[in-house]
Amino acid sequence: MAATRVPVLGAAACLAGLAGCATFTETIQSTEVSLARHQPQAALAAYKNRTPAGADRVLDLMNEGMLERMVGDFDASTRTLEQAKGAIEELRALSLREQTLSVALNDASKAFIGEDFEQVMVHTYIALNYLERGRLDPARVEALQIDLLLREKAEEAPDSPYVEDAFSRYLTGIIYEDEREWSDAMIAYRKAYEAYQNQLESFGVAIPETLKVDLIRLADRMDLAEEARGYRKTFGISEVPSEAELLERGEIILTVHAGLAPMKRERSTTVLNPNTGRFLRIALPHYRSRPQPFAYARVSVGPQAAISSRVENVDAIALKSLESEMPAITARAIARMAIKDVAASAASHSGGNSSSSNAAAGVAGLAINLAAVLTERADTRSWFTLPGEIHLARLSLPPGDYSMRVDLHGRDQEVLDSSEIKVSLHKGEKKYVSRHWIPTNLEVKP
Amino acid sequence: MSRRPSLRASLALLALVAAAGCSTKVERLDESQAVDLSGAWNDTDSRLVSQEMIQDSLSRAWLQEFKGRPGQNRPTVIVGEVRNLSHEHINTSTFTLEVERALINSGKVDFVATKGERKDIREERKDQDINAREDTRNAMGRELGADFMMTGTINTIIDPSGDTQVRFYQVNMTLISLADNRKVWVGQKDIRKLVTHSKLRF
Repeated sequence: MAATRVPVLGAAACLAGLAGCATFTETIQSTEVSLARHQPQAALAAYKNRTPAGADRVLDLMNEGMLERMVGDFDASTRTLEQAKGAIEELRALSLREQTLSVALNDASKAFIGEDFEQVMVHTYIALNYLERGRLDPARVEALQIDLLLREKAEEAPDSPYVEDAFSRYLTGIIYEDEREWSDAMIAYRKAYEAYQNQLESFGVAIPETLKVDLIRLADRMDLAEEARGYRKTFGISEVPSEAELLERGEIILTVHAGLAPMKRERSTTVLNPNTGRFLRIALPHYRSRPQPFAYARVSVGPQAAISSRVENVDAIALKSLESEMPAITARAIARMAIKDVAASAASHSGGNSSSSNAAAGVAGLAINLAAVLTERADTRSWFTLPGEIHLARLSLPPGDYSMRVDLHGRDQEVLDSSEIKVSLHKGEKKYVSRHWIPTNLEVKP
Repeated sequence: MSRRPSLRASLALLALVAAAGCSTKVERLDESQAVDLSGAWNDTDSRLVSQEMIQDSLSRAWLQEFKGRPGQNRPTVIVGEVRNLSHEHINTSTFTLEVERALINSGKVDFVATKGERKDIREERKDQDINAREDTRNAMGRELGADFMMTGTINTIIDPSGDTQVRFYQVNMTLISLADNRKVWVGQKDIRKLVTHSKLRF
């Protein structure tokens, strides 16, 4: 009997060894420090220096892709995010091995494929990368893939709070409009409008001012007089530049990616069961929001200026998505705790009649119980380099070469950051530019 | 005691088998052999569509009509842009090259260099003007102008349901007369694929 207990103890030791692994949140601190110092290159290097975990491949690609984008290497970012997309597709199928491990160890042993909103964001950022490189047709491919993915997600979970992505829909509308595909643009703008309306309570993002103007302009362009009248009345906007006028000019479309997405932390409880003498532990993830001092951006060329509107609240989307999944995560954690306790109980009662074998069984039971407790960690993996919020501004200008000023303002109107960007605009051309801005204080709210 | 060595041997064998399963394996394929892995647009689609399109194009009336014009023998064609309007990132330059190859190898049309290629060639001629021996120089202004331009689009409709998708590809090609903007030929090739994703993995 004692011989059979050796592998049990070995397995318990292995499990305990695994428990020594830090949660994901604990491994990214140096990356966060570099981001807070506005050093994305150092942040990318620090992230790549981490010891990669096989199950985190998609997560690593997502974070690296975003850091490459922050560095300004849009082509590398696109390549990396494309790899993430391919890996998600491969990992969507169920793995029995991973399911078994997740019952024996924890949820973090399953391959990470991202939440629904994170998967959509992969496409959205690839599209933005292409747009900033002036490649409209590949951005349009991403727009079609976003539509396909959102349709699939809506079919799979129609009651999810994240059944639509308002900003991604809005961006696809901008892409179609740039392609002069008016009807597709109109449909996408309408879907974005509906999503902003339906998700106002959940995500707190009002209909962006730019989208209001876009809806009226496109409705006019398509001779949808009744619909255009309705938008004018609802939004209280009477005059908007026509599509023809817009095409005589150029346009700058600025996106600001402010702050960082909330960070997942572990909340755990360990108790001693007085009846059995064994420890019971449950560990669950929860999000902690990051500080967001950014309020709006002002883009100006001489006296002509535009103020940005908030188009996506990633922070709220992440929080609501996790909230909707908590019942399932909690149920899995409770089941895992029960299974681990049964295993420890079985080991401690496996002794024979002799006192020595009983003692050995007790040791085995204790070892398994300790390993079970130590391996119970919450899955705190998340695409933490996503911004907390995304803002968008549109500025129409006559064709020409400009030095454009971008001022980022805080909640008290103070200027957080200013920069000059040189832009050359042709007639009917849209130029896409972006700024990533992260506050120096990334301490999470209590 | 005698069981231990056999257990070790078995474990070693298992490790070897596992290691063998992880090593990279390369198998050379015949270029005409169709291999569908992900269900996305691939080299087979590109080759089949270009071949069928060109065969159709060269069997139509525009070619005979052009040859029937006084002083004309073979039309000169240029391939313009093939726009990817599909759900996938498709390397349209591979498809364009397939079309060019099929057209040139037919021997029924002349083919001129693309916009980008022409720029390089003109620079080379300029260089020849300065550096090449006079009897080997190629003069400027003697280029062959194209009579027709071929353009196209690749479109898709995807109908997903759970793990299954029906992918419908439609490739449209148009041949336009550069003299008067007449569309002299319009070709269309459709491909339908049923793609089923695995529900389980290792």
